[in-house]
Amino acid sequence: MRSPMLKVEGLVKAYGPLRAVDGASFSLDAGTVVALLGPNGAGKTTTFKCILGVTGFEGTIEVDGLSVRERGKEVRRRLGYLPQTPALSDGDTCRQALEFLAELKGADKGRVARLLKLANLWEQRDTKVSRLSGGMRQRLALAAALLADPPVLLLDEPTASLDLESRREFHDLIARLRDEGKTVILSTHFLDRLGDLADRVIVLNQGRVVFDGTMRELAERAPTNRFVVNLNGTAPAAFSEALRAIGIGPERVTPADSHWEDLLLASLPAGEEKEGEPR
Amino acid sequence: MSAITAVMKKEVRDAFSNWWLLLYGGLFTLLALGLSYLGQKNLGSLGFENFSRTTASLLNLCLLLAPLIALSLGAGAIAGERDRGALTYLLSQPLERRELLLGKFAGLFASIGLATTAGFGAAGIVISLSGSAMDAGTYLLFLFLVLALIAVMTGLGLVASVVSATRVQALGLAVLVWFAAVFFFDLVLIGMVSATSLGDGGLLLALLANPVEIVRVLAIIHLEPDLEVLGPFGSYLLDEWGMARATGLLALALVAWTVMPVWLAVRLFERRDS
Repeated sequence: MRSPMLKVEGLVKAYGPLRAVDGASFSLDAGTVVALLGPNGAGKTTTFKCILGVTGFEGTIEVDGLSVRERGKEVRRRLGYLPQTPALSDGDTCRQALEFLAELKGADKGRVARLLKLANLWEQRDTKVSRLSGGMRQRLALAAALLADPPVLLLDEPTASLDLESRREFHDLIARLRDEGKTVILSTHFLDRLGDLADRVIVLNQGRVVFDGTMRELAERAPTNRFVVNLNGTAPAAFSEALRAIGIGPERVTPADSHWEDLLLASLPAGEEKEGEPR
Repeated sequence: MSAITAVMKKEVRDAFSNWWLLLYGGLFTLLALGLSYLGQKNLGSLGFENFSRTTASLLNLCLLLAPLIALSLGAGAIAGERDRGALTYLLSQPLERRELLLGKFAGLFASIGLATTAGFGAAGIVISLSGSAMDAGTYLLFLFLVLALIAVMTGLGLVASVVSATRVQALGLAVLVWFAAVFFFDLVLIGMVSATSLGDGGLLLALLANPVEIVRVLAIIHLEPDLEVLGPFGSYLLDEWGMARATGLLALALVAWTVMPVWLAVRLFERRDS
Protein backbone atom coordinates (compact mmCIF):
# COMPACT_ATOMS: atom_id res chain seq x y z
CA MET A 1 0.00 0.00 0.00
CA ARG A 2 1.32 3.47 -0.90
CA SER A 3 2.18 5.63 2.06
CA PRO A 4 0.47 9.03 2.18
CA MET A 5 2.29 12.09 0.87
CA LEU A 6 1.48 13.96 4.08
CA LYS A 7 0.69 12.35 7.41
CA VAL A 8 -0.20 14.29 10.56
CA GLU A 9 -0.77 12.27 13.72
CA GLY A 10 -1.74 13.56 17.15
CA LEU A 11 -0.45 17.04 16.38
CA VAL A 12 -0.37 19.30 19.43
CA LYS A 13 0.98 22.83 19.49
CA ALA A 14 0.65 24.76 22.72
CA TYR A 15 1.51 28.37 23.48
CA GLY A 16 1.58 28.33 27.25
CA PRO A 17 -1.86 27.20 28.45
CA LEU A 18 -3.41 27.75 24.99
CA ARG A 19 -3.55 24.73 22.70
CA ALA A 20 -3.56 26.20 19.20
CA VAL A 21 -3.63 22.69 17.71
CA ASP A 22 -5.05 20.00 19.94
CA GLY A 23 -4.46 16.45 18.72
CA ALA A 24 -5.17 16.94 15.02
CA SER A 25 -4.71 13.91 12.77
CA PHE A 26 -5.18 13.57 9.02
CA SER A 27 -3.35 12.31 5.97
CA LEU A 28 -3.22 13.22 2.29
CA ASP A 29 -2.52 10.90 -0.64
CA ALA A 30 -0.34 12.14 -3.47
CA GLY A 31 -2.19 14.23 -6.04
CA THR A 32 -5.12 15.23 -3.82
CA VAL A 33 -6.39 18.72 -3.06
CA VAL A 34 -7.63 19.25 0.48
CA ALA A 35 -9.34 22.38 1.75
CA LEU A 36 -8.64 23.31 5.36
CA LEU A 37 -11.55 25.29 6.78
CA GLY A 38 -12.25 26.80 10.14
CA PRO A 39 -12.88 30.12 11.86
CA ASN A 40 -10.06 32.53 12.67
CA GLY A 41 -7.91 31.05 15.42
CA ALA A 42 -8.95 27.48 14.60
CA GLY A 43 -5.29 26.47 14.16
CA LYS A 44 -4.97 26.43 10.35
CA THR A 45 -1.85 28.61 10.10
CA THR A 46 -0.29 26.94 13.13
CA THR A 47 -0.84 23.55 11.47
CA PHE A 48 1.01 24.84 8.38
CA LYS A 49 3.87 26.14 10.54
CA CYS A 50 4.18 22.72 12.18
CA ILE A 51 4.18 20.93 8.81
CA LEU A 52 6.95 23.33 7.68
CA GLY A 53 8.92 22.60 10.84
CA VAL A 54 9.37 26.29 11.67
CA THR A 55 7.88 25.82 15.12
CA GLY A 56 8.14 23.05 17.70
CA PHE A 57 5.25 20.61 18.15
CA GLU A 58 4.19 17.34 19.74
CA GLY A 59 3.01 14.41 17.65
CA THR A 60 4.19 13.14 14.29
CA ILE A 61 4.33 14.82 10.90
CA GLU A 62 5.75 13.08 7.85
CA VAL A 63 6.08 14.39 4.32
CA ASP A 64 6.84 11.79 1.65
CA GLY A 65 7.84 9.43 4.47
CA LEU A 66 10.31 11.91 6.01
CA SER A 67 9.93 13.10 9.59
CA VAL A 68 9.58 16.88 9.82
CA ARG A 69 11.23 16.92 13.22
CA GLU A 70 14.27 14.89 12.18
CA ARG A 71 14.74 15.92 8.56
CA GLY A 72 13.22 19.38 8.42
CA LYS A 73 15.46 20.76 5.67
CA GLU A 74 14.81 17.83 3.33
CA VAL A 75 11.09 18.07 4.06
CA ARG A 76 11.05 21.77 3.21
CA ARG A 77 12.61 20.96 -0.18
CA ARG A 78 9.44 18.97 -0.88
CA LEU A 79 7.11 21.76 0.25
CA GLY A 80 6.03 24.91 -1.53
CA TYR A 81 4.57 27.41 0.93
CA LEU A 82 2.40 30.37 0.11
CA PRO A 83 1.67 32.46 3.22
CA GLN A 84 -1.40 34.61 3.66
CA THR A 85 0.75 37.73 3.47
CA PRO A 86 3.71 37.13 1.16
CA ALA A 87 6.87 38.32 2.92
CA LEU A 88 9.09 38.86 -0.08
CA SER A 89 11.78 41.51 0.22
CA ASP A 90 10.30 44.87 -0.84
CA GLY A 91 13.63 46.22 -2.05
CA ASP A 92 14.16 43.36 -4.52
CA THR A 93 12.85 43.21 -8.05
CA CYS A 94 10.59 40.26 -8.89
CA ARG A 95 13.49 38.53 -10.62
CA GLN A 96 15.92 39.15 -7.71
CA ALA A 97 13.36 37.87 -5.19
CA LEU A 98 12.88 34.62 -7.12
CA GLU A 99 16.60 34.18 -7.84
CA PHE A 100 17.40 34.45 -4.14
CA LEU A 101 14.76 31.85 -3.24
CA ALA A 102 15.85 29.60 -6.12
CA GLU A 103 19.38 29.62 -4.70
CA LEU A 104 18.08 28.79 -1.24
CA LYS A 105 16.00 25.93 -2.61
CA GLY A 106 18.80 24.69 -4.84
CA ALA A 107 16.46 25.12 -7.82
CA ASP A 108 17.54 25.65 -11.41
CA LYS A 109 17.68 29.41 -12.02
CA GLY A 110 16.22 28.78 -15.47
CA ARG A 111 12.90 28.19 -13.73
CA VAL A 112 12.80 31.81 -12.58
CA ALA A 113 11.99 33.13 -16.07
CA ARG A 114 9.56 30.27 -16.74
CA LEU A 115 7.65 30.89 -13.51
CA LEU A 116 7.59 34.66 -13.98
CA LYS A 117 5.84 33.98 -17.28
CA LEU A 118 3.51 31.41 -15.72
CA ALA A 119 2.56 33.93 -13.01
CA ASN A 120 1.98 36.51 -15.72
CA LEU A 121 4.70 38.74 -14.24
CA TRP A 122 7.28 38.70 -17.02
CA GLU A 123 6.63 42.36 -17.84
CA GLN A 124 7.17 43.22 -14.17
CA ARG A 125 10.37 41.16 -13.82
CA ASP A 126 12.49 44.24 -13.07
CA THR A 127 9.81 45.98 -11.00
CA LYS A 128 10.43 46.22 -7.27
CA VAL A 129 8.20 44.01 -5.11
CA SER A 130 7.08 47.09 -3.18
CA ARG A 131 5.44 48.44 -6.37
CA LEU A 132 3.35 45.32 -7.05
CA SER A 133 -0.38 45.12 -6.38
CA GLY A 134 -1.72 42.61 -3.84
CA GLY A 135 -2.71 40.17 -6.59
CA MET A 136 0.68 40.43 -8.29
CA ARG A 137 2.47 39.79 -4.99
CA GLN A 138 0.33 36.75 -4.45
CA ARG A 139 1.17 35.42 -7.92
CA LEU A 140 4.86 36.12 -7.33
CA ALA A 141 4.69 34.24 -4.02
CA LEU A 142 3.02 31.30 -5.78
CA ALA A 143 5.80 31.35 -8.39
CA ALA A 144 8.28 31.28 -5.48
CA ALA A 145 6.48 28.29 -3.95
CA LEU A 146 6.78 26.42 -7.27
CA LEU A 147 10.50 27.16 -7.83
CA ALA A 148 11.81 23.78 -6.74
CA ASP A 149 8.85 21.95 -8.34
CA PRO A 150 7.74 20.58 -4.92
CA PRO A 151 5.30 17.67 -4.77
CA VAL A 152 3.32 19.30 -1.92
CA LEU A 153 1.91 22.82 -1.81
CA LEU A 154 0.75 24.53 1.39
CA LEU A 155 -1.43 27.49 0.49
CA ASP A 156 -2.49 29.58 3.50
CA GLU A 157 -5.54 31.66 2.57
CA PRO A 158 -3.99 32.53 -0.77
CA THR A 159 -7.07 34.29 -2.12
CA ALA A 160 -7.96 36.28 1.00
CA SER A 161 -6.85 39.61 -0.48
CA LEU A 162 -7.91 38.94 -4.07
CA ASP A 163 -10.96 40.19 -5.93
CA LEU A 164 -13.42 37.73 -7.48
CA GLU A 165 -11.72 37.69 -10.89
CA SER A 166 -8.21 37.17 -9.44
CA ARG A 167 -9.61 34.48 -7.18
CA ARG A 168 -11.04 32.62 -10.19
CA GLU A 169 -7.68 32.84 -11.98
CA PHE A 170 -5.97 31.58 -8.87
CA HIS A 171 -8.36 28.66 -8.54
CA ASP A 172 -7.77 27.79 -12.20
CA LEU A 173 -4.06 27.69 -11.45
CA ILE A 174 -4.63 25.38 -8.48
CA ALA A 175 -6.76 23.10 -10.68
CA ARG A 176 -3.89 22.94 -13.18
CA LEU A 177 -1.44 22.07 -10.42
CA ARG A 178 -3.77 19.32 -9.21
CA ASP A 179 -3.92 17.96 -12.76
CA GLU A 180 -0.11 17.92 -12.78
CA GLY A 181 -0.24 15.61 -9.75
CA LYS A 182 0.62 18.06 -6.99
CA THR A 183 -0.70 17.46 -3.50
CA VAL A 184 -2.30 20.68 -2.32
CA ILE A 185 -3.50 21.67 1.12
CA LEU A 186 -5.37 24.93 0.93
CA SER A 187 -6.77 26.96 3.80
CA THR A 188 -9.48 29.36 2.72
CA HIS A 189 -12.43 31.45 3.75
CA PHE A 190 -14.03 31.20 0.33
CA LEU A 191 -16.25 28.27 -0.54
CA ASP A 192 -16.74 29.12 -4.20
CA ARG A 193 -15.51 26.35 -6.46
CA LEU A 194 -14.28 24.29 -3.52
CA GLY A 195 -16.76 21.57 -4.52
CA ASP A 196 -14.97 21.21 -7.87
CA LEU A 197 -11.49 21.92 -6.64
CA ALA A 198 -11.08 20.05 -3.37
CA ASP A 199 -11.20 16.27 -3.13
CA ARG A 200 -11.68 16.59 0.60
CA VAL A 201 -12.52 19.16 3.25
CA ILE A 202 -11.05 19.20 6.73
CA VAL A 203 -12.70 21.51 9.24
CA LEU A 204 -10.67 22.63 12.24
CA ASN A 205 -12.21 24.19 15.30
CA GLN A 206 -10.23 25.19 18.39
CA GLY A 207 -7.31 23.14 17.14
CA ARG A 208 -9.29 19.95 16.59
CA VAL A 209 -10.37 18.23 13.40
CA VAL A 210 -14.17 18.35 13.62
CA PHE A 211 -14.90 17.16 10.09
CA ASP A 212 -12.94 15.24 7.46
CA GLY A 213 -14.81 14.27 4.30
CA THR A 214 -16.06 15.53 0.95
CA MET A 215 -17.76 18.83 0.37
CA ARG A 216 -21.01 17.00 -0.47
CA GLU A 217 -20.88 15.04 2.80
CA LEU A 218 -20.40 18.29 4.67
CA ALA A 219 -23.34 19.90 2.89
CA GLU A 220 -25.54 16.86 3.61
CA ARG A 221 -24.86 17.17 7.31
CA ALA A 222 -26.19 20.71 7.45
CA PRO A 223 -29.46 20.57 9.42
CA THR A 224 -31.00 23.50 7.58
CA ASN A 225 -30.39 25.67 4.60
CA ARG A 226 -31.35 28.90 6.34
CA PHE A 227 -28.61 30.82 8.07
CA VAL A 228 -28.08 34.25 9.50
CA VAL A 229 -24.58 35.39 8.69
CA ASN A 230 -22.36 38.40 8.93
CA LEU A 231 -21.21 39.36 5.43
CA ASN A 232 -18.33 41.39 6.87
CA GLY A 233 -17.23 42.88 3.55
CA THR A 234 -18.08 39.89 1.36
CA ALA A 235 -20.28 40.82 -1.60
CA PRO A 236 -23.78 39.25 -1.31
CA ALA A 237 -23.56 37.89 -4.86
CA ALA A 238 -20.25 36.15 -4.16
CA PHE A 239 -21.59 34.75 -0.93
CA SER A 240 -24.75 33.43 -2.55
CA GLU A 241 -22.65 31.84 -5.26
CA ALA A 242 -20.45 30.20 -2.63
CA LEU A 243 -23.46 28.80 -0.80
CA ARG A 244 -24.95 27.47 -4.03
CA ALA A 245 -21.64 25.72 -4.75
CA ILE A 246 -22.17 23.53 -1.70
CA GLY A 247 -25.85 23.02 -2.38
CA ILE A 248 -27.26 25.54 0.02
CA GLY A 249 -29.77 28.06 -1.31
CA PRO A 250 -29.76 31.21 0.80
CA GLU A 251 -33.27 32.48 1.34
CA ARG A 252 -32.45 35.41 3.53
CA VAL A 253 -29.21 37.22 4.26
CA THR A 254 -29.12 39.80 7.09
CA PRO A 255 -26.35 41.33 9.16
CA ALA A 256 -25.56 39.28 12.27
CA ASP A 257 -22.77 38.60 14.73
CA SER A 258 -21.45 35.27 13.52
CA HIS A 259 -18.81 34.66 10.84
CA TRP A 260 -19.96 32.72 7.81
CA GLU A 261 -17.67 29.84 8.68
CA ASP A 262 -19.78 29.25 11.75
CA LEU A 263 -22.39 27.83 9.40
CA LEU A 264 -20.01 25.00 8.63
CA LEU A 265 -19.45 24.36 12.31
CA ALA A 266 -23.17 24.66 12.96
CA SER A 267 -23.75 21.85 10.50
CA LEU A 268 -21.75 19.39 12.58
CA PRO A 269 -23.32 16.90 14.99
CA ALA A 270 -23.41 18.18 18.56
CA GLY A 271 -21.03 15.43 19.73
CA GLU A 272 -18.22 16.75 17.57
CA GLU A 273 -18.36 20.25 18.95
CA LYS A 274 -16.93 21.78 22.05
CA GLU A 275 -19.07 23.23 24.76
CA GLY A 276 -20.20 26.75 24.08
CA GLU A 277 -19.73 26.44 20.34
CA PRO A 278 -22.18 28.73 18.51
CA ARG A 279 -24.87 26.90 16.53
CA MET B 1 26.97 25.91 2.38
CA SER B 2 25.07 27.23 -0.64
CA ALA B 3 22.22 28.38 1.63
CA ILE B 4 24.70 30.39 3.73
CA THR B 5 26.19 31.91 0.56
CA ALA B 6 22.73 32.80 -0.76
CA VAL B 7 21.76 34.52 2.51
CA MET B 8 25.14 36.27 2.65
CA LYS B 9 24.79 37.67 -0.88
CA LYS B 10 21.28 38.86 -0.14
CA GLU B 11 22.45 40.50 3.07
CA VAL B 12 25.23 42.36 1.25
CA ARG B 13 22.73 43.58 -1.35
CA ASP B 14 20.31 44.70 1.37
CA ALA B 15 23.07 46.29 3.47
CA PHE B 16 24.26 48.49 0.62
CA SER B 17 20.73 49.73 0.06
CA ASN B 18 20.52 50.58 3.78
CA TRP B 19 21.19 54.27 4.23
CA TRP B 20 22.76 53.72 7.67
CA LEU B 21 25.59 51.74 6.13
CA LEU B 22 25.98 54.22 3.27
CA LEU B 23 26.06 57.06 5.80
CA TYR B 24 28.63 55.22 7.87
CA GLY B 25 30.79 54.44 4.82
CA GLY B 26 30.63 58.02 3.58
CA LEU B 27 31.24 59.56 7.01
CA PHE B 28 34.05 57.18 7.79
CA THR B 29 35.81 57.84 4.47
CA LEU B 30 35.43 61.61 4.87
CA LEU B 31 36.75 61.60 8.43
CA ALA B 32 39.61 59.27 7.50
CA LEU B 33 40.56 61.58 4.62
CA GLY B 34 40.26 64.63 6.88
CA LEU B 35 42.44 63.07 9.55
CA SER B 36 45.05 62.06 6.98
CA TYR B 37 45.04 65.54 5.45
CA LEU B 38 45.37 67.29 8.83
CA GLY B 39 48.06 64.84 9.87
CA GLN B 40 50.07 65.63 6.74
CA LYS B 41 49.57 69.37 7.06
CA ASN B 42 50.55 69.65 10.71
CA LEU B 43 53.26 67.06 10.89
CA GLY B 44 54.34 66.77 7.29
CA SER B 45 58.04 66.54 7.98
CA LEU B 46 57.85 63.85 10.58
CA GLY B 47 57.50 60.86 8.25
CA PHE B 48 56.57 57.69 10.12
CA GLU B 49 55.50 59.70 13.16
CA ASN B 50 53.07 61.42 10.86
CA PHE B 51 51.63 58.11 9.70
CA SER B 52 51.53 56.88 13.25
CA ARG B 53 49.52 59.83 14.48
CA THR B 54 47.10 59.62 11.60
CA THR B 55 46.60 55.96 12.37
CA ALA B 56 46.12 56.70 16.08
CA SER B 57 43.41 59.22 15.21
CA LEU B 58 41.85 56.68 12.90
CA LEU B 59 41.93 54.18 15.77
CA ASN B 60 39.79 56.40 17.98
CA LEU B 61 37.41 56.99 15.11
CA CYS B 62 37.14 53.26 14.43
CA LEU B 63 36.64 52.32 18.07
CA LEU B 64 33.72 54.73 18.20
CA LEU B 65 31.96 54.26 14.86
CA ALA B 66 32.62 50.66 13.78
CA PRO B 67 31.12 49.01 16.90
CA LEU B 68 28.03 51.23 16.66
CA ILE B 69 27.22 50.35 13.08
CA ALA B 70 28.09 46.65 13.53
CA LEU B 71 25.96 46.34 16.67
CA SER B 72 22.98 48.16 15.20
CA LEU B 73 22.97 46.32 11.86
CA GLY B 74 23.50 43.00 13.67
CA ALA B 75 20.60 43.83 15.99
CA GLY B 76 18.27 44.39 13.04
CA ALA B 77 19.22 41.16 11.25
CA ILE B 78 16.76 38.70 12.81
CA ALA B 79 14.48 41.04 14.78
CA GLY B 80 13.91 43.09 11.61
CA GLU B 81 12.77 40.01 9.68
CA ARG B 82 10.51 39.07 12.58
CA ASP B 83 9.04 42.59 12.67
CA ARG B 84 8.04 42.57 9.03
CA GLY B 85 6.66 39.04 9.24
CA ALA B 86 9.34 37.57 6.98
CA LEU B 87 11.11 35.29 9.46
CA THR B 88 8.61 32.44 9.24
CA TYR B 89 8.69 32.67 5.44
CA LEU B 90 12.51 32.54 5.41
CA LEU B 91 12.53 29.60 7.80
CA SER B 92 9.96 27.80 5.64
CA GLN B 93 12.65 27.54 2.95
CA PRO B 94 15.07 24.60 2.90
CA LEU B 95 17.61 26.13 5.24
CA GLU B 96 18.50 25.56 8.86
CA ARG B 97 18.28 28.31 11.45
CA ARG B 98 22.05 28.28 11.89
CA GLU B 99 22.52 28.70 8.14
CA LEU B 100 20.28 31.76 8.15
CA LEU B 101 22.16 33.25 11.08
CA LEU B 102 25.63 32.46 9.73
CA GLY B 103 24.65 33.85 6.31
CA LYS B 104 23.40 37.04 7.95
CA PHE B 105 26.60 37.31 9.99
CA ALA B 106 28.84 36.78 6.97
CA GLY B 107 26.87 39.25 4.85
CA LEU B 108 26.85 41.98 7.48
CA PHE B 109 30.52 41.48 8.27
CA ALA B 110 31.41 41.66 4.57
CA SER B 111 29.33 44.83 4.06
CA ILE B 112 30.57 46.76 7.10
CA GLY B 113 34.10 45.47 6.45
CA LEU B 114 33.99 46.71 2.86
CA ALA B 115 32.74 50.16 3.89
CA THR B 116 35.46 50.39 6.54
CA THR B 117 38.19 49.16 4.20
CA ALA B 118 37.13 51.82 1.69
CA GLY B 119 37.70 54.50 4.35
CA PHE B 120 41.06 53.02 5.28
CA GLY B 121 42.01 52.70 1.62
CA ALA B 122 41.21 56.37 0.99
CA ALA B 123 43.31 57.46 3.95
CA GLY B 124 46.13 55.12 2.93
CA ILE B 125 46.17 56.54 -0.59
CA VAL B 126 46.38 60.11 0.74
CA ILE B 127 49.28 59.17 3.00
CA SER B 128 51.10 57.37 0.17
CA LEU B 129 50.58 60.20 -2.33
CA SER B 130 51.97 62.73 0.13
CA GLY B 131 55.26 60.83 0.03
CA SER B 132 55.32 60.03 3.75
CA ALA B 133 57.03 56.91 4.89
CA MET B 134 54.37 54.32 5.48
CA ASP B 135 54.63 51.08 7.36
CA ALA B 136 52.12 49.16 5.29
CA GLY B 137 52.38 46.13 7.60
CA THR B 138 51.30 48.09 10.67
CA TYR B 139 48.57 49.80 8.70
CA LEU B 140 47.24 46.45 7.51
CA LEU B 141 47.46 45.01 11.02
CA PHE B 142 45.44 47.94 12.24
CA LEU B 143 42.82 47.39 9.55
CA PHE B 144 42.72 43.70 10.46
CA LEU B 145 42.13 44.56 14.13
CA VAL B 146 39.26 46.88 13.26
CA LEU B 147 37.74 44.17 11.06
CA ALA B 148 38.01 41.74 13.97
CA LEU B 149 36.21 44.24 16.20
CA ILE B 150 33.49 44.55 13.56
CA ALA B 151 33.09 40.75 13.61
CA VAL B 152 32.82 40.74 17.41
CA MET B 153 30.26 43.53 17.48
CA THR B 154 28.20 42.07 14.62
CA GLY B 155 28.03 38.82 16.61
CA LEU B 156 26.94 40.67 19.76
CA GLY B 157 24.34 42.52 17.67
CA LEU B 158 23.01 39.18 16.47
CA VAL B 159 22.66 37.97 20.06
CA ALA B 160 20.62 41.10 20.82
CA SER B 161 18.57 40.44 17.68
CA VAL B 162 17.80 36.84 18.59
CA VAL B 163 16.78 37.51 22.20
CA SER B 164 14.61 40.53 21.39
CA ALA B 165 10.96 40.42 20.41
CA THR B 166 11.12 43.52 18.22
CA ARG B 167 13.66 45.48 16.19
CA VAL B 168 13.34 48.50 18.51
CA GLN B 169 14.08 46.35 21.54
CA ALA B 170 17.10 44.82 19.78
CA LEU B 171 18.42 48.25 18.79
CA GLY B 172 18.01 49.50 22.35
CA LEU B 173 19.99 46.55 23.63
CA ALA B 174 22.68 47.13 20.97
CA VAL B 175 23.09 50.80 21.89
CA LEU B 176 23.37 49.82 25.55
CA VAL B 177 26.18 47.36 24.73
CA TRP B 178 27.92 50.03 22.60
CA PHE B 179 27.68 52.62 25.35
CA ALA B 180 28.96 50.16 27.95
CA ALA B 181 31.89 48.97 25.81
CA VAL B 182 32.99 52.32 24.42
CA PHE B 183 32.38 54.76 27.28
CA PHE B 184 31.12 53.25 30.48
CA PHE B 185 33.58 50.38 30.81
CA ASP B 186 36.70 52.56 31.00
CA LEU B 187 35.19 55.01 33.46
CA VAL B 188 33.91 52.33 35.81
CA LEU B 189 37.12 50.31 35.76
CA ILE B 190 39.39 53.28 36.24
CA GLY B 191 37.20 54.24 39.19
CA MET B 192 37.42 50.70 40.56
CA VAL B 193 41.18 50.61 40.14
CA SER B 194 41.51 53.87 42.09
CA ALA B 195 39.01 52.98 44.79
CA THR B 196 39.81 49.32 45.32
CA SER B 197 42.63 46.98 44.69
CA LEU B 198 41.67 44.81 41.74
CA GLY B 199 44.90 42.86 41.84
CA ASP B 200 46.80 41.49 38.83
CA GLY B 201 44.17 38.92 37.95
CA GLY B 202 41.40 41.47 38.27
CA LEU B 203 43.15 43.91 35.96
CA LEU B 204 43.73 41.24 33.36
CA LEU B 205 40.13 40.03 33.50
CA ALA B 206 38.89 43.58 33.24
CA LEU B 207 40.92 44.09 30.09
CA LEU B 208 39.81 40.82 28.51
CA ALA B 209 36.15 41.52 29.33
CA ASN B 210 35.92 44.33 26.80
CA PRO B 211 36.70 43.61 23.13
CA VAL B 212 37.00 47.35 22.38
CA GLU B 213 39.71 47.64 25.01
CA ILE B 214 41.47 44.52 23.65
CA VAL B 215 41.62 46.02 20.15
CA ARG B 216 42.73 49.40 21.46
CA VAL B 217 45.59 47.93 23.51
CA LEU B 218 46.62 45.53 20.73
CA ALA B 219 46.72 48.36 18.21
CA ILE B 220 48.64 50.73 20.45
CA ILE B 221 51.31 48.28 21.59
CA HIS B 222 52.14 47.70 17.93
CA LEU B 223 51.71 51.27 16.85
CA GLU B 224 53.20 53.35 19.62
CA PRO B 225 53.85 51.57 22.89
CA ASP B 226 53.60 54.78 24.84
CA LEU B 227 52.57 54.22 28.41
CA GLU B 228 50.48 57.39 28.52
CA VAL B 229 48.40 56.31 25.55
CA LEU B 230 48.18 52.70 26.65
CA GLY B 231 46.27 53.37 29.84
CA PRO B 232 46.35 51.31 33.04
CA PHE B 233 45.36 47.96 31.52
CA GLY B 234 47.77 48.11 28.59
CA SER B 235 50.64 49.31 30.74
CA TYR B 236 50.07 46.52 33.21
CA LEU B 237 49.94 43.91 30.47
CA LEU B 238 53.09 45.09 28.75
CA ASP B 239 54.99 45.27 32.05
CA GLU B 240 53.93 41.86 33.26
CA TRP B 241 53.68 39.83 30.07
CA GLY B 242 56.01 41.45 27.55
CA MET B 243 55.14 42.30 23.95
CA ALA B 244 55.00 38.79 22.41
CA ARG B 245 53.01 37.11 25.18
CA ALA B 246 50.69 40.07 25.55
CA THR B 247 50.00 40.03 21.80
CA GLY B 248 49.30 36.30 21.87
CA LEU B 249 46.96 36.57 24.83
CA LEU B 250 45.02 39.49 23.40
CA ALA B 251 44.79 37.87 19.96
CA LEU B 252 43.43 34.72 21.54
CA ALA B 253 40.90 36.70 23.53
CA LEU B 254 39.82 38.48 20.34
CA VAL B 255 39.32 35.16 18.55
CA ALA B 256 37.19 33.96 21.49
CA TRP B 257 35.19 37.19 21.41
CA THR B 258 34.61 36.68 17.68
CA VAL B 259 33.46 33.07 17.95
CA MET B 260 31.47 33.11 21.21
CA PRO B 261 28.72 35.64 20.36
CA VAL B 262 28.02 33.97 17.00
CA TRP B 263 27.93 30.55 18.66
CA LEU B 264 25.64 31.89 21.39
CA ALA B 265 23.35 33.58 18.85
CA VAL B 266 23.06 30.29 16.90
CA ARG B 267 22.24 28.31 20.05
CA LEU B 268 19.65 30.81 21.23
CA PHE B 269 18.10 31.08 17.77
CA GLU B 270 17.82 27.30 17.46
CA ARG B 271 15.97 27.19 20.77
CA ARG B 272 13.53 30.00 19.93
CA ASP B 273 10.11 29.16 18.62
CA SER B 274 10.22 31.27 15.43
